[in-house]
Order: sequence, then C-alpha cells, then structure tokens
Amino acid sequence: MESIQAKQGLVGPNDPIQRTQLPYVTGTSVVALKYKDGILMAADMGGSYGSTIRYKSVERIKPIGKHSLLGASGEISDFQELLRNLDELILYDNMWDDGNSLGPKELHSYLTRVMYNRRNKFDPLWNSLVLGGVKNGQKYLGMVSMIGVNFEDSHVATGFGNHLARPILRDEWHENLSYEDGVKLLEKCMRVLLYRDRSAVNKLQIAKITEEGTTISQPYALKTFWGFTAFQNPTAGAEGSW
Amino acid sequence: MSNSAIDVPSRGGFSFDLCRRNDMLAKKGVNLPSFRKTGTTIVGLIFQDGVILGADTRATEGPIVCDKNCEKIHYMAPNIYCCGAGTAADTEAVTDMVSSQLQLHRYHTGRESRVVTALTLLKKHLFNYQGYVQAALVLGGVDCTGPHLHTIYPHGSTDTLPFATMGSGSLAAMAMFESKYKEGLTKDEGIQLVVDAICSGIFNDLGSGSNVDVCVITKGHKEYLRNHLLPNPRTFVNAKGYSFPKKTEVLLTKITPLRERVEVVEGGDAMEE
Amino acid sequence: MTKQHPAWSPYDNNGGTCVAIAGADYCVTAADTRMSTGYSILSRDYSKIIKLADKCVMASSGFQADVKALQKLLAARHLIYQHQHNKQMSCPAMGQLLSNTLYYKRFFPYYSFNVLGGLDNEGKGCVYTYDAVGSYERVGYSSQGSGSTLIMPFLDNQLKSPSPLLLPAQDAVTPLSEAEAVDLVKTCFASATERDIYTGDKLEIVVLNKDGIHREYMELRKD
Repeated sequence: MESIQAKQGLVGPNDPIQRTQLPYVTGTSVVALKYKDGILMAADMGGSYGSTIRYKSVERIKPIGKHSLLGASGEISDFQELLRNLDELILYDNMWDDGNSLGPKELHSYLTRVMYNRRNKFDPLWNSLVLGGVKNGQKYLGMVSMIGVNFEDSHVATGFGNHLARPILRDEWHENLSYEDGVKLLEKCMRVLLYRDRSAVNKLQIAKITEEGTTISQPYALKTFWGFTAFQNPTAGAEGSW
Repeated sequence: MSNSAIDVPSRGGFSFDLCRRNDMLAKKGVNLPSFRKTGTTIVGLIFQDGVILGADTRATEGPIVCDKNCEKIHYMAPNIYCCGAGTAADTEAVTDMVSSQLQLHRYHTGRESRVVTALTLLKKHLFNYQGYVQAALVLGGVDCTGPHLHTIYPHGSTDTLPFATMGSGSLAAMAMFESKYKEGLTKDEGIQLVVDAICSGIFNDLGSGSNVDVCVITKGHKEYLRNHLLPNPRTFVNAKGYSFPKKTEVLLTKITPLRERVEVVEGGDAMEE
Repeated sequence: MTKQHPAWSPYDNNGGTCVAIAGADYCVTAADTRMSTGYSILSRDYSKIIKLADKCVMASSGFQADVKALQKLLAARHLIYQHQHNKQMSCPAMGQLLSNTLYYKRFFPYYSFNVLGGLDNEGKGCVYTYDAVGSYERVGYSSQGSGSTLIMPFLDNQLKSPSPLLLPAQDAVTPLSEAEAVDLVKTCFASATERDIYTGDKLEIVVLNKDGIHREYMELRKD
C-alpha cells in the first residue's frame, strides 16, 4: 500500500514523484575531525532560503544510534526525512535484540548506497553528509556527497568548508589532538567560514562522540574581530579615491 | 545594401559582432582555442613598514600544467608591483601597458608614481573592456602617502584591504590570512604569513602549484625574492635513465620517382576575365 | 535577469591515473591516491586499486561513486562464482565479466576508466584495458585516467609491443624484469604528476607474481 502511494506524485497519479529538483532551505558547511578520544563535529545553525538566511536555529548535527553522529549540509527537509528513515532503521535493527548494533562504518556504507541510489533515480537527496562515530575503540569519520561520492579521512568538511576549512585542518590537524585543542581548531575553521561564507551565521553547535557516548553543545557564538585600522579609512593618503 | 555605415568614420567603442558570431559558432559546436590561464594563488598584505606580495608559479591550460615556474608578480614601477591571475596574456598586457604609462608619467612629473595612479589606470582599462580583459590583480606598493594594497577584479571594481587574495587558490590562502593576520607584523612575520598563504594555495588548490615568489616593498626599497621557497621537488628519478631510439623504422628503401603529370608552361597567356 | 538555481549533474570526475604492465611472470598495477573534484582535493589517500580475485586486481579512475558501485558488484559476482565453482575466478574471466558489467549500463554508463591486471592460467602477466562502456582488449601495458595522455606515449616508446596483426601471434608481455617495470611505473607517475593537476599525493603499486600479491607506496608531489 505504502509503495503504491510512494510511486504516485502529489500532482497526479501518472506523474513521477519528484522531490528535490532544486533546494529550498539549505544549511552550509559541516566540519569534523578525529581527535584523541573520538570525533568532533561543528556546524552553524543557519537555514538559508536562497540567499536569505531564513532560519537561525536549525540543528544540523544529530546522533544516530549509540555510536554515530550525522551532520548535514544542503536541503534541510531532505536531511530531516533521512533522519526519520535512519530512526526506523535503528529501531528495526534494535528489534533483533541480538546484541549487535549498527556502527558508524555500517551507517556510512548505508548512507552511501542511499545517496547513490537516489542519484540513479535522478531524484537526489540534496545533501552532503558527514558521518562520524566510535565503536569498539575504532574511530570513524566519512563523507558522502549528493551523488554518492564517498570517502573516509581524518578530517572532513562539506561545501565551502572544503575550500576554507580543510586547508587549515591539513596544516594543523594531528592524531593526538586533545578535546580542548580539537574544539579550538574547529572554532578557528568556523570563524574563517563565518567571515568568508555569506550563508554562515554566528550561532553554532559542536558535537562530541566518544566510546562513552554523544554530547551536542548548546548553541553559542564565536568572538569576532572587525577592528583593523585599514578597514576604518581605506582611502587614507588619497582622499576621495578608491 | 547601404554603404553609409561603413563610410562613417569609426567613433571607437566596442563591437560585439564577433561575440555574437562566436556564440553562434559555439552553439554549432566549434570550440574556441583555450588560453593559458594562471589558475593561481596570489596574495598581498600590509605589514609594519610596507607591503608584501606573494604568488605561486604554476600556469595551467585546462588540466595540464603548461609552465611549472612562471612569474606572476609583475613590475609596475620601482615602488609598485602587481600580482596577476586570470588569462596570462591579459595580466601581462595590462600590467605592461600601465607600467609604461607610469614611466611616462614619471618622466613628465619627475616624481615617484603613486599606487592610486596605477590603480586608476588599471581599473579604467578593465572597466572599459567590460570584463573581457580577464585580469584579476593584487596591486601593492609604497609611495609618499604610505603603503597601499588593492585588489582589482576583471570588471574594474577595486578594493582597499589590509590583506588580499585572488585566483583559484584565493579561498585556501584567505583561510590562512583570516586565521593568522594581525596588524603591525614584522617583516619576517609578514613574509612567513605570505609564504603560508601561498603554500596553502599550492597544496590545496589544484590550479596552483610549484614554487613561492615573494616581493617585499618598503619605503624607498624593494626585495624581489624569486623562488623564495621550492616546496615541490621531483619525487623520483630513475638512476639508470632512459634511452629514446632516434630512428624510425625503415620500411622501404627503393625510391620510385613520380612521373610528371602536368607540364608547366612559363609565361603563358593571361587569364580570361 | 534570469533566476539562478543550482543545477546538478549525475556525474563528477574525481581524477586519477592508472597504469598496468604485464611481464612474462608478473604484473604491475599502479594508481595514484589523490581524489579530487574540480580544483579541490577531497582526499590525499584514497586507494583506487582493489583485489578482485587471488590473481586479479583492478585500478579505476573516473567517477568515484560509479567506481565504488562497480567494485561492489564485481565483488558480489565473484563471491557467487566462488560458491558455484569452488575456485577463484581467472583474470581473463574477470576481464570478460568486467566488460559485460560495463556494457550492461551502456545507456547510463559507469563513468569509470579501468585497467585490469593479473596473471592468466599459465601464470603469464595479463593486462586488460577498457573504456567506460565495456569495449576491451588484452594488451601488454596500458594507462587510463586523467594522466593517461601523458603516460601512454612514453610507455609506447619504451615498451613498443608487437603488432596484434602479426602472424603467428606474438606475446604482448613486455621484456622488462619486474624491478625495471616497477621503476618505469614510478617514472611515469613522477612525470605525470609534474604536468597533470589531477595526479599526485601518493603512488600505490601492486605487484602480482608467483609468490603472490605485494603492495608498495611512493610519495608524489602534493601540489
């Protein structure tokens, strides 16, 4: 019954269903890294409607099961639908009651297939996803794009973050980052993104996952600096020029 | 057809006839030749006693590197230099043109060129050509009014900044500036930050690569540090080397002279109308 | 002004170069480990070479998501083969399977450029080279991917293979020793990295011979 309905569009019974042909409300970059005890992930809370920042309290990092964190940039509604699907997946996995549970590696692999299959139907989920987690002492951090391109790395960033945050991460990341240093590094990346990404907002969350479990911070703002003297009077020395 | 349009003397300005022709040809599948682009990282910053410019040295043509060690910091005047990104021919031509105008201006006035003068000449030229002169520039220099740093976009808009980046590696370089720049840097700190920014472009942006060029301009003095850093040595050379046989294979040695089919008569009759 | 809206394409090119060289009793397969999109690097350490069977490896560049799907499909097909026949698939058989798999998607192709390297039933090195829709050929050496246009002419010059039209048919395998072939591959990649922006970071070399399989790595330029 559900499958029959799913095959029909809202417009008419014969129209193929089409969800995201173009995105409506989107989130910008997610940045994540491995640190000594697990994974840290950061994302701001802006939801852009085109170039308008329409929402300012969108949670874009969510825990999935016991061992994983999922961060998403791109279409918020697609992400939220995906969360509902994953909830069901985790629930049914739990109902086996066999002591097994899906780890980050399995979830990443699953997401990879979901994204790739949707692109094969020419009806993609308009997201870049970051999946991080810890299970059995193994840290895991991976990424999936809208069309299914996926990989693992010790630090990842989606969207603009790939251009602005990863150069910093490649310079400064190392295997033995403490929690404090990891947060500092993420904040540095988020600050650069805030300065240079027009859809970034100064309200972010940082999430942590370790063997012990998941914690997602309360939203908070970063300190910024706009006081360069060169910004005050740019045309000093040639008054009235450019 | 009336000839009047042709007889009227040209009043200058831009003709877009060829653009329309080119669009039409492009729609029919004719590809224009690709130009040498400097998919580039160029940067500049103001430090305590002047300006430092920096550039990588890779020039690309599509996915291929066509020059591994080109110069992107162009001379404008003894106290002014300019980094260029975009189409190599445009950045070179536009900086050469303006630098010669500045030279003439110095002959005329007997004074040191000012950075605003260079800026105005560059932006006027670029604005006139509506973005078709594909030059994105970082202009820096020190004149009687102090150190100045500007960016100039291909359409002619300009910016006055304490630190600037341009080219395909501009975001990677800007990430370094935004997280490390302070006012009142010393010369060594300034050079180090410029090198960090260029290296960030070199290693994170595929359009940028090879070496780091730096140019330090202070009051009455400049230092052009060509290939200041060479962070990309070749990783493997076969000790034995390779031999490339010179000869192509000889398939036939017998020569058969061709029989002359046409007799050419010198000084024949004049052609008919 | 026309309204801007983001477009998407079902394909991407994630770059990378693959080379395989067959010898009398060995096969060298190599690929760089850079994965990129546009002008940015996604990962510096992504392996493009997978082992499909005991004596058969595949190196693939192109669109990573398609490559991954292809790898998963071949792995599944090989598992079924093992259950049905209780043996590993031979390299020539895998070569045909890969061709059929690619052609099956003729009108929505896997955007992947593959070379298959391995040992045939006589223990001779074999290389199969493909286009994206399954046209394939057994050769002595081959190169695929973004740097192939730089590497292939060099291989042609160094390893000139006998014409396939010659009668009686001659072996396509190269006359080099295993160590020489590995050095040749290293030179190819060091040179391609100088000029191809999508090739770099690290070189992964997989050598198959009668002693089994062996992997080694060499650093490449990271710019």
